[in-house]
Amino acid sequence: MKKLFYSIALSALVAAGSSCKKTDNYAAPDVTLKGTVTDAGTGKSLQTEQGSGTRIKLLEISWSANPTPFYISSYQDGTYQNTKLFAGKNVISAEGAFVPLVQVDASGKTIVDKSQTVDVKDVTTVNFSVEPFLRIEWIGDPVLNADGTITTKFKVTRGTANPDFQQNVSDVAVFINSNNYVGNNNYDNRYTPKLSGDAANATIGATTTLTTLGGALPGKRSYFIRVGAKMQYGLNYYNYTDVKEVKIP
Amino acid sequence: MKKYAYTILAFLLCWSTACKKLDTLPPSIISDQDVFSSSAGVTAYMARMYAELPIEDFRYSPERGLNMFWIISPTSATTGEALSRDQNGSMQENTGLSTWSDCYRTIRDANYFSENIAKYAGNFTPDQVNQWLGEARFIRAATYFALVKRYGGVPLVDKVLSYPAQSVEELKIPRTSEEKIYDFIGTDLDYAYANLPEKSQAGRANKYVAAGFKSRAMLFAGSVAKYNQISLVDGSGNRLCGIPATKAVAYFKAAYDAAALLEGKYDLYKKAWSATDKEAQYQNYVNLFFDATSGENIFVRQYHYPESVHGYDAYNVPRQLMGANGYSSEVNPTLNYVELFDGFPKNADGTIKTTTGGKYDLYTNTMDLFANAEPRLRATVVLPGDLMKGVSIEIRRGIYTGPTAGGISPLLPAGSTAHYPTANIVESANAAQTPYTLPNGKTMNPAGLSGYFTGDGTNSVSGFSIRKYIVPDKPTSLVLENRSDQTWIELRYAEVLLNRAEAAAELNALGQGDKNYLQDAFTQVNAIRERAGATLLTGTADVSIDVVRKERKKELGFENKQYWDMRRWRVADKEQNSTVYRTLMPFFSANDNKYFFDARLDERNSRYTFDPRWYYEQISQNEIQKSQNLIQNPGY
Repeated sequence: MKKLFYSIALSALVAAGSSCKKTDNYAAPDVTLKGTVTDAGTGKSLQTEQGSGTRIKLLEISWSANPTPFYISSYQDGTYQNTKLFAGKNVISAEGAFVPLVQVDASGKTIVDKSQTVDVKDVTTVNFSVEPFLRIEWIGDPVLNADGTITTKFKVTRGTANPDFQQNVSDVAVFINSNNYVGNNNYDNRYTPKLSGDAANATIGATTTLTTLGGALPGKRSYFIRVGAKMQYGLNYYNYTDVKEVKIP
Repeated sequence: MKKYAYTILAFLLCWSTACKKLDTLPPSIISDQDVFSSSAGVTAYMARMYAELPIEDFRYSPERGLNMFWIISPTSATTGEALSRDQNGSMQENTGLSTWSDCYRTIRDANYFSENIAKYAGNFTPDQVNQWLGEARFIRAATYFALVKRYGGVPLVDKVLSYPAQSVEELKIPRTSEEKIYDFIGTDLDYAYANLPEKSQAGRANKYVAAGFKSRAMLFAGSVAKYNQISLVDGSGNRLCGIPATKAVAYFKAAYDAAALLEGKYDLYKKAWSATDKEAQYQNYVNLFFDATSGENIFVRQYHYPESVHGYDAYNVPRQLMGANGYSSEVNPTLNYVELFDGFPKNADGTIKTTTGGKYDLYTNTMDLFANAEPRLRATVVLPGDLMKGVSIEIRRGIYTGPTAGGISPLLPAGSTAHYPTANIVESANAAQTPYTLPNGKTMNPAGLSGYFTGDGTNSVSGFSIRKYIVPDKPTSLVLENRSDQTWIELRYAEVLLNRAEAAAELNALGQGDKNYLQDAFTQVNAIRERAGATLLTGTADVSIDVVRKERKKELGFENKQYWDMRRWRVADKEQNSTVYRTLMPFFSANDNKYFFDARLDERNSRYTFDPRWYYEQISQNEIQKSQNLIQNPGY
């Protein structure tokens, strides 16, 4: 009797134990999606900042017509890459400091839709050409002055002819930092000169010259410089130049 | 065998008795009947709803959310009012919190009450039923306001939802427009105003509480309409984030009119006030937060030890008054906050003046610098050397031992966030101090009893400590976590006057001339200033939106209001952009036997940056998973 009981109990245990063995045999994500967001006017990649800048929006429509969006943040030079995606059909667009690729009017109707529907598999490249709100160009390289400050010359122009995206420029800044990840999210405000309000708006179309604040910069190191400007639209994202390095002896 | 027969019979008998009553309510579960048929039951139901009401009181911080005892990341240390060793930057409310679902539970409670009390109306007088219906509407409106100020437009649920009577798909209610939510709040508060009595038990709503909350909510809506830049429109044309700018005037007028309803019903607390005595003005302002009979209290949340408690004193007393839990000085007002006030030497740019001709000014006592400070400042902030609980709160950064002939030059260049040089300065790493022998033979600890300690940071990191709401006579043995029970004043008349003044200043700026709005704003601001012991405005030419806002920061500082004000004015991303706040460090000069002050940037170099996305907070991913029709706010 006892023997029978034990054998039943044992077989039950074994049965219960074996059912726990579940291997997740679905292949790990190995699909790469990459690309560049470029300025339609200049053909160069659109500079941005990580976190509060360009990001790629994926809507995977293989399974659902109303999926939760998945985002990929772009690098600060405007390229992006994700190497751990599942293959699938995606509607892909980009968000950032440029004329929105998908626009909705006040009644909720989609009036512009430049998103791309792509079968993402293996290594897929999806590029976007956009009109930035503001285009900032260097006028020469930043100059290290005799008094230890740095002077920067640049020009801010409109990146789009669409009047709906030509709000007043609210802030212009020459961001300075001691590493090359420099921008509104990461700068040293002791040295960074800024313009705001009317002074910022007056930079449109004119060559602007700004010099670092706080006297001579500490020596024997490099500083990284980048000009940013933003206008009063949406989440107030900045447009940027690329990063330039100034070595201080 | 007979024995078995009896046993079986007895056993069967047991069954027969059980047949009697099957259709009975389980006695362990409280039914609607039990709650709604007596006024005691309704009071208990109300008590629960008031306890759930989402207000940012002693038990709130953006890090840990509503109704949480542990407030070591204080709200005021995210706004720049204060610095704290445990909160070193700006933030949106922690997205892991359940604020969203908690609010909808309260809304359901309010809806359930409104729909079911009618069945039991026969047990009560119509006045009672109307009052309760008014309270339920007030609670629903206040809860929707908590949602809309965080997320913008949210799903509008104005009746009890039931599952499985309604399908899951039906229950996935999409968000509605921000504007509709504010209008819904306005309608609910109007209903509450019409149905509530003039007076109520402390902690419960009356008609003026409803009007006061309406002035607050409509002012928020008006500010969003005027200053917001963010837009999010759903597929049906509902603007989930943002309100058309054309609606600003209507909302500001609604705020103004609601605030005016309280005129003559409440007043500014002046029981111990005297027009000529600054000390009396100071004492009056301290007392304001502790007098249960104050005519300024409109809506309060009461606490009572041991069943309903908080730990405000334990976390925030100066270090030298620390209780047994080992907490202290979590809220240390910044010099930026102190500089909003008047009554001490200032430079042309409004910053505190601590030097003359490039050399530090010397003072015998640290309080000499603040001898003529505005009484409201002293009552809000513990200035270095001022009294609290009968002892002088000693805040000293260190002892300067260097030469003093010809004066002492600034220890650091302007704008530096570096540590002080160690040459010529004696300092302490923590509260276990080694006394320093002064040239006159006396000994002195390098740091004050309340700091500054360079090592552990358990001290006044800004050079100031907080006085507002700290119980002035609480013995140190009772300065413990979960041992404080002072009342939280959620809405006081001063805020209503400031709401009114701000709405008036905005209406004036928007060119509205149906009343003399500028004159009205002038009157309200001066009423606040007079009670505070501050310099009065001389004429309407002095009034501007900025003047009203500054007055609001001073009057309502550390009451968890500025967190929302910075958002609705849409100035947070300007004020906090890689911002380092200022501190005031008192030093003792050994050779002069006197004190000097160094105004500097926060030595800990805490940088505050507000992300513009946070104007509309991130909706928790859990909620979107539950209801996929919810559209996330922009940028997340």
